[in-house]
Amino acid sequence: MWAEMSASKGDGQAAGVVRACVLNLVVYVAGKEECPEVNDLLEDVVERHPCRAVLLVVNRAATEPRLEAFVSTRCQLSAPAAKRICGEQITIEADGPVVDTASTAVTPLLVPDVPVFLWWKDIPHYEDKLFDRLAEMSDRVVIDSASFDHPHKDMLRLAEILKEGNLRVSDLNWGRLTSWRSLVASFWDVADYRQSLAQIERVAIEYDPPDASHDEIAPKALLALGWIASCLGWEVLADDSSLEAGRAHFKLSDGGREIEAVLAATDDVAGRDGMITSLTLRTAAGDEFFVVLRHNEGKLETGARLGGDGQKVGRVLAYEARSEGQRLSAELDILSRDEVFESAAEVAARMLSSVAV
Amino acid sequence: MQAATVVENPMRAGMRLERTAEPCAVVIFGASGDLAKRKLIPALYRLVQEHLLPAEFAIIGLGRTAMTDEEFRDKMKASVVEFSEAKSVDEEVWQSFAGGMQFLPSNIDQPECYGELAKLLEQVDKEHGTQGNRLFYLSVAPEFYAEAVRQLGEAGLTKQDKGWVRVIIEKPFGTSLDSARELNQQILRYLDESQIYRIDHYLGKETVQNLLVFRFANGIYEPLWNRQYIDHVQITNAETVGVEGRGGYYEKSGVVRDMIQNHVFQVLSIVAMEPPASLSSEDVRDEKIKAMHSARAFTPERVAAECVRGQYGAGSIGGKPVPGYREEQGVAPDSTTETFAMVTMWFDNWRWSGVPFYIRSGKRLAKRVTEIAIQFRQVPHQLFGAAAMEQVSPNQLVIRIQPDEGITMRVAAKVPGQVTRIRDVNMDFRYGASFGVQLAEAYERLILDCILGDSTLYARKDMTERGWEIVMPILDYWAARKSEADFPNYEAGSWGPEESFHILEQQGRHWRRP
Repeated sequence: MWAEMSASKGDGQAAGVVRACVLNLVVYVAGKEECPEVNDLLEDVVERHPCRAVLLVVNRAATEPRLEAFVSTRCQLSAPAAKRICGEQITIEADGPVVDTASTAVTPLLVPDVPVFLWWKDIPHYEDKLFDRLAEMSDRVVIDSASFDHPHKDMLRLAEILKEGNLRVSDLNWGRLTSWRSLVASFWDVADYRQSLAQIERVAIEYDPPDASHDEIAPKALLALGWIASCLGWEVLADDSSLEAGRAHFKLSDGGREIEAVLAATDDVAGRDGMITSLTLRTAAGDEFFVVLRHNEGKLETGARLGGDGQKVGRVLAYEARSEGQRLSAELDILSRDEVFESAAEVAARMLSSVAV
Repeated sequence: MQAATVVENPMRAGMRLERTAEPCAVVIFGASGDLAKRKLIPALYRLVQEHLLPAEFAIIGLGRTAMTDEEFRDKMKASVVEFSEAKSVDEEVWQSFAGGMQFLPSNIDQPECYGELAKLLEQVDKEHGTQGNRLFYLSVAPEFYAEAVRQLGEAGLTKQDKGWVRVIIEKPFGTSLDSARELNQQILRYLDESQIYRIDHYLGKETVQNLLVFRFANGIYEPLWNRQYIDHVQITNAETVGVEGRGGYYEKSGVVRDMIQNHVFQVLSIVAMEPPASLSSEDVRDEKIKAMHSARAFTPERVAAECVRGQYGAGSIGGKPVPGYREEQGVAPDSTTETFAMVTMWFDNWRWSGVPFYIRSGKRLAKRVTEIAIQFRQVPHQLFGAAAMEQVSPNQLVIRIQPDEGITMRVAAKVPGQVTRIRDVNMDFRYGASFGVQLAEAYERLILDCILGDSTLYARKDMTERGWEIVMPILDYWAARKSEADFPNYEAGSWGPEESFHILEQQGRHWRRP
């Protein structure tokens, strides 16, 4: 394949081919219908990370065993007449009984000496044999908590897996929180405001209800609250917390000072599945720090009203414009454990446990 | 090189985000000028877009042109559209950014202007929460640098009692060793060295910063980075443009003043420096100046034998005819200003003893390119015979700074076939190809660094003076022999005067074609 590409002069634009591989990306998809979306995303990924992609398309429902593989190249052309930077894609289709052992078809295909990422594009079934085997050979596993079909149960399970410490996990949904976290944190880059961190008494997060399970709290909202609580060292109090459809009340404590956290669903709007729509932090002195996200216009509005002199600062920013492919790409930059994410997930799980999900 | 806020703000712990800055007011002197329009405002807007500047941020523009705040904002918006990559602005984001933008029509040599500025800054602190942190950007003619700093000092605006005060000074920093020393003395009367940020936009370029990473984060190159393995180093800094209507300025300047003593020397010092103790701005700059201290002085004999000056005559660039330097607007018909210079530098130290650094820089050359080529020594024994080796040159490592930032390594490989023939092949790394990201503009990085208080990528007092100290004997020698300049001595669109090739050829070397 590579010899053919080097020989072909193409349309005269291709001044040559550079084969490059900075990582292995194993992608698990449950069913062929997911392939077009994954292929689109991989376009963005190879632009930043020329890699060997192994796409494992699984059909568990099939009764006849089948294992087939196809190979193709993925190229990017940085400028007209420039060299094409290319990597390979190998697609493996596994049906029926061979699914469990499909990992043995993947192992020999991995390029040595570069990291292996597993993107599990499905709800992670940690007990699944294939997941277990693929995760074991990977340096990092990428999941998406937005796809959880039972957010509460799945979040608790994720926290358990993280606690066991055998897997390094990236959550694309956590990546989607990055802009939010950056803007929330930026309020306290100003030294003068920092003392108010010790006076926060209420956190309110509004979110669009998850499509998969309307009555449960969106994982993104849970992670956002988990992140704030873990950063500020808040304890989860078991008493007085409550959970009803589309609304959760949590009691937290900062060295004896109580903090009330409310997570509330907004009206369900199409295309906003599980997204946060607003996040407000309020101190005892009446200072308010808030970030409001307006997804429909792709903007974030931030503002702070400060207690003492009623001074108000705020601005409008464009929401970090990243495609899902670029987001996945960003996850492939990181190999080490993401301790902040792990702590946020752990606190989120503790809050859910406090209301006995 | 990390922002202090990362450590102090618990919400920033472990965040995989870029650095963010403290509240501040940026005061641009010369805000109606070209630099503000083309570079500064687009860079600040992009920093806002990338969420790298805080909400507590304001811009005050100072300029002679009478303008209202609204006119200033409109003008700046037009320039962002024209000069930034995006080619459009988001109305709502712009309004939010422009809300903190004001214009003060002023004559910067008048003391009243500074009184008004002080009042306006107080007001901005209250309205925008900028906390007394001020960044003064002197984007004015060089003769106003000292005056502006003096006036700021006299008006009490350089005091850091409420917040920090930093001053960015544009190039050129002086026109000779004496004037650079004098300028340093004048501004240091009112400012501490830690408040002064002398800009050199070359240092804001990604590849220049990558030079540090390349040298000190890779185990395989540093052991080779010395006289044992390196034969010589070539630095080419070529422009295809002429003086572009700046003939009047260029007549007093020339390429040594305009490019070599500042930009090229900054790059050169990073190539030649020893590993720093840490990446702190002082440690890095200490090593750079140490390297430059070991640069051999230029005696008249050395200038005559190892340096070449040139001036372009008419020629063609990209197939289009272009006039000679002497025909450019604002240039004397018998001008002896050099538009090209080649200098040979030697570092008399343990690492570089006997390794020449050939530097050439010029206008109207064949191609726009800035690169560093490290030429390694030839293999000690020709194992493959002369015929097999005829197309082979010694290994070469090329670090391209612009355009197409990247690194190329030239290695020898066997041509497939029954007989052994060897050919050079390139191993290529391009930023664009490997990271697929748009590189930040140098000004974005530098302005952000200044707001963060990181002066690593700015020139320190000793470096500006040392640069002049090195080049003054060359400038003096040429000035004393104006009548001997046989100008024009290269055609526009060529690679410079023949003599610059002869010097290398005499030593058995040749210039690489970039």
